[in-house]
This record gives sequence, C-alpha cells and structure tokens, in this order.
Amino acid sequence: MRKPLTLLVPLAAAALTVAMSPTAAFADGADGTYQTTLDPLNGSSGSGMAMISVTGDQASIDLSWSGLPETFMDAPYPHVQHIHIGNRGECPSPSDDANGDGIVDTVEGQPAYGAIGTTLSTKGDTSAAAGTNIKIAPGGSSLDYSRTITLSQDTLDALASGTGVIVVHGLDPATLSKKAANAKSNLVPELPLAATSPALCGALSASPTGGVATGSGSTSGVENVALFGAGGGLLAAAGVGLVGRRRRSVTQAG
Amino acid sequence: MMRDHSVIGGRRGGLLLVVAAAVAGVIVLGFALASQEPAPPSPPGSAVGTIDPSPATSQDRTPSADPTPDRPEPEHDVVGAAEEVPLGASEPVSVSIPAIDVRTEVIALGKAPDGTLAVPQPGPNLDKAAWFEDSPTPGQPGPSVIEGHVATEQRGPSVFFNLGNLRPGDKISVEREDGKVAVFTVDGLRDFDKDTFPTKLVYGGNLSTPTLRLITCSDFDASIGHHTGNLVVFSHLTRVRGA
Repeated sequence: MRKPLTLLVPLAAAALTVAMSPTAAFADGADGTYQTTLDPLNGSSGSGMAMISVTGDQASIDLSWSGLPETFMDAPYPHVQHIHIGNRGECPSPSDDANGDGIVDTVEGQPAYGAIGTTLSTKGDTSAAAGTNIKIAPGGSSLDYSRTITLSQDTLDALASGTGVIVVHGLDPATLSKKAANAKSNLVPELPLAATSPALCGALSASPTGGVATGSGSTSGVENVALFGAGGGLLAAAGVGLVGRRRRSVTQAG
Repeated sequence: MMRDHSVIGGRRGGLLLVVAAAVAGVIVLGFALASQEPAPPSPPGSAVGTIDPSPATSQDRTPSADPTPDRPEPEHDVVGAAEEVPLGASEPVSVSIPAIDVRTEVIALGKAPDGTLAVPQPGPNLDKAAWFEDSPTPGQPGPSVIEGHVATEQRGPSVFFNLGNLRPGDKISVEREDGKVAVFTVDGLRDFDKDTFPTKLVYGGNLSTPTLRLITCSDFDASIGHHTGNLVVFSHLTRVRGA
C-alpha cells in the first residue's frame, strides 16, 4: 500500500495549484452548523451524510457513509476524503465528463467543487498536503467519522460563502463501463481510473438557524369574531326590546 | 277599541320580535362557540419517548410507559430489516400519519433569507407539509426534516395541529417520487424553546440511520402573539414498501 501513496502525490500537487488561487476573505467567522447529504457520483452505490459545527477555527466533523468498495489490492480500500473549496461549490454533473468515458474524474470535477481545502484524515495532518496520504485515509466500505480539527482560513471562508464541498474518492471498477474500468488514472497512470475518481459528493450549506416559524397564528384566541358579534348583537337587541316593552306597560298601567 | 287593539297588537308584535332576536342570538352564539378551536395538543411534560434509538437496541425497547389504550401495541421493527435500507435519494411527494388523520402533499423548501428554515407561505401551499431540501430525502441515511404549521393567522388549525398527540410506536408513511413508501416509527417527542433550538440534534444526530423529524410550533404566548417553542417528533425508518 506504500506504492499508491507515492503515486498519488501528483494528485495532491494538482489540487494544491488550484488551492492557491485567491479566495475572498470574510471578516466574520464561519461559526455555525453546516450539513450535506453525500450522494453517489459515477455510478457509485454509496450514500451518507456529513455535519460540521464550527466555532472559531475549530470544527467538529461528523461524517457517515456506506456502500463504497471494500477492498483494493487485497487491503481495505482507501477512500481519501476532503472538503474541496474555491470554485462553484457544487457537485459535478455527468455533463462535466469532458472526455466522454462515462466517469467524471477528479480533475473534470474541479470546476464544480474546486481544490482540496481540508483533508478529512483519520488522524494527523488535515491540510491539503495530506490529501492523498492513504495511510491516514479511512478504509473499507463504510465509515462513521467523528473528529474535531482546526480549519484553515480558506476552508472557513468557503464554508461561510457556501462553496465547501465534501468529496469521497474511490470507485468499484466492477461498476464502471468496460472502457472506464480498464482506463488508467489521468493523474496517476499506474493506478486504475476508479481509484482516484470521486465516489460520493455533497455541497455543504449552513443548517437552518434558530427555531422554526411553523405557527403564524394560534387557536387560543377567538376564531369567529363576526359570529360572536352577530349573536351578541341579537341578544342585546332582544334585551333592549324587552326593557322598552316593560317601560311601555308601566307607563300605560300608570 | 280600535286604539286598544292596536296597542295590544303592537305589544304582541314587540314581544315576538324580542323573542325572535333572543332565539336567533342564542343560535348564532352557539355556532360561534362550536367554531372555536381548542389549543393544539401538547405532549405531557416536554418529553415523550426517546431520540434516535441505536439500531442495536431499537428492537429491544419496551412499550411506552404511557401507551394510549385504544392503540395497538407499538411494533418494533428491526432497523435494517427492510431490504433496501438506506434508500437512495428521491424527494417526498406526500406524507400520511393515520394516528392523527393527517394526509398531505409535501413541498420542498430551503432556508429563508435570515437563515431560518423557510415555512409554507399563505396561498395554496400554506397547509401542506414541507421537506427541508438540504436534509436527506426520507429513507436516505441521516435525519430527513419535514415541517408543517400548527396553525396560521389565515386559516386557523393547520396540517400539524395534532402532532402533539403522536406517541412512540405510531407510524408515519412518506411516499417518494420513485414510488417507494418509507415508513417511519415514532420514537419520541420533544418540546424545544425556539431561543435555544438544538440545531445539531434536530438536523443531525445519528447520521447513519435513516430517520425523520417532524417539526411544528408549540407554546403560543398570547401576550406577544407568537409561538415560543417547537415541537419535534423523532422517528426512524422501519419499513419500505412499493417499487
């Protein structure tokens, strides 16, 4: 498993180049809660959800996914995962498959989700530089991940502006078209295309803040003011009539 | 004589008018009272049941301590027993909750400009339920969020007026665009103060289990004319029907 680690370095380099592009700075922090579902890309059968709570530059990250390929080269399949930043803040669509091989590979997806801002490693380095370090990437078919890490200013800015995207990599070659399954990675020619391609993606957005305004009115008041008014009015009229009638009879008796 | 007659006739006519007005008044008031809506039900105390039982223990849960007598014993289906749990993404179309006679279309809503959850607005969708479009679709892993008004200024009691009557074991069926019906079983109810609404607990929590939260308003404060709380029903996926 050491070999793919070395081979994946160009992937990180490509990602870093994009990460260097300037991003808008935000005076206010990114404090708050962000969430996304993790939906399959490239015919992946996986799914999941992520939630990130930010206070200052500290982020409590909860991530859960399942249904990804279990093994790779007779070892747990390493699924590198990142918060991508700096572009449209979206997950790619099939139309982003520039070379038409049926796979939106990592590079083809970058106009949509940007470069690596933060690596969601299982321990140690969380910078973009650790983006392809499979020794600290989660492995296997499913993950329940909970980790508190420090986020870079760029990643904080991306979260605040709604351009952070979580991408989990690593497809099952068996689910790909024959052409794509046999293709080599365009980043790392020694690896199959499947190994470096995105499998799950989710564009992060702020969770709703505060309570929910699901009650613009109440039934604790008077519902039918008109009816009460009409009924009361009729009774009052009857009362006035009765009094008037009594007065008249008194007068006549006198 | 003519004069007496006319006086007597006038007195009789006046009496008839008075009686008629009184009778009509009572009848109209009766209708008005009948149209009065009671306050929406709220769960006893601020908490009933549990939130997100772990999949391992959900099958061992004992029946609710305070079961409603006329309801069948809650079924405790095993999470994951359904063949296709979790489901892929497919937006909700309608939701039905037999225990409180709710059946409604579901629309999709995001956030309001102020960052809060947008709510159905006056118009044809006011009394429909709304799925939060950034939450999982019902049946996907994690908490899917569906909200509905308890009552509105425009029309009084709304779609989730009786949400507080739900109890652990009650079923919530959500029909999805793909034709599948995701059936959730109620685990518990919580009443939260809007000022300290637990965002992470309601929109997050257990991210791997397909769950559903139903949200409405609670705790109307007549002095300020607003609801100060939110009632949240917690449930988890126990069955999948259909295509």
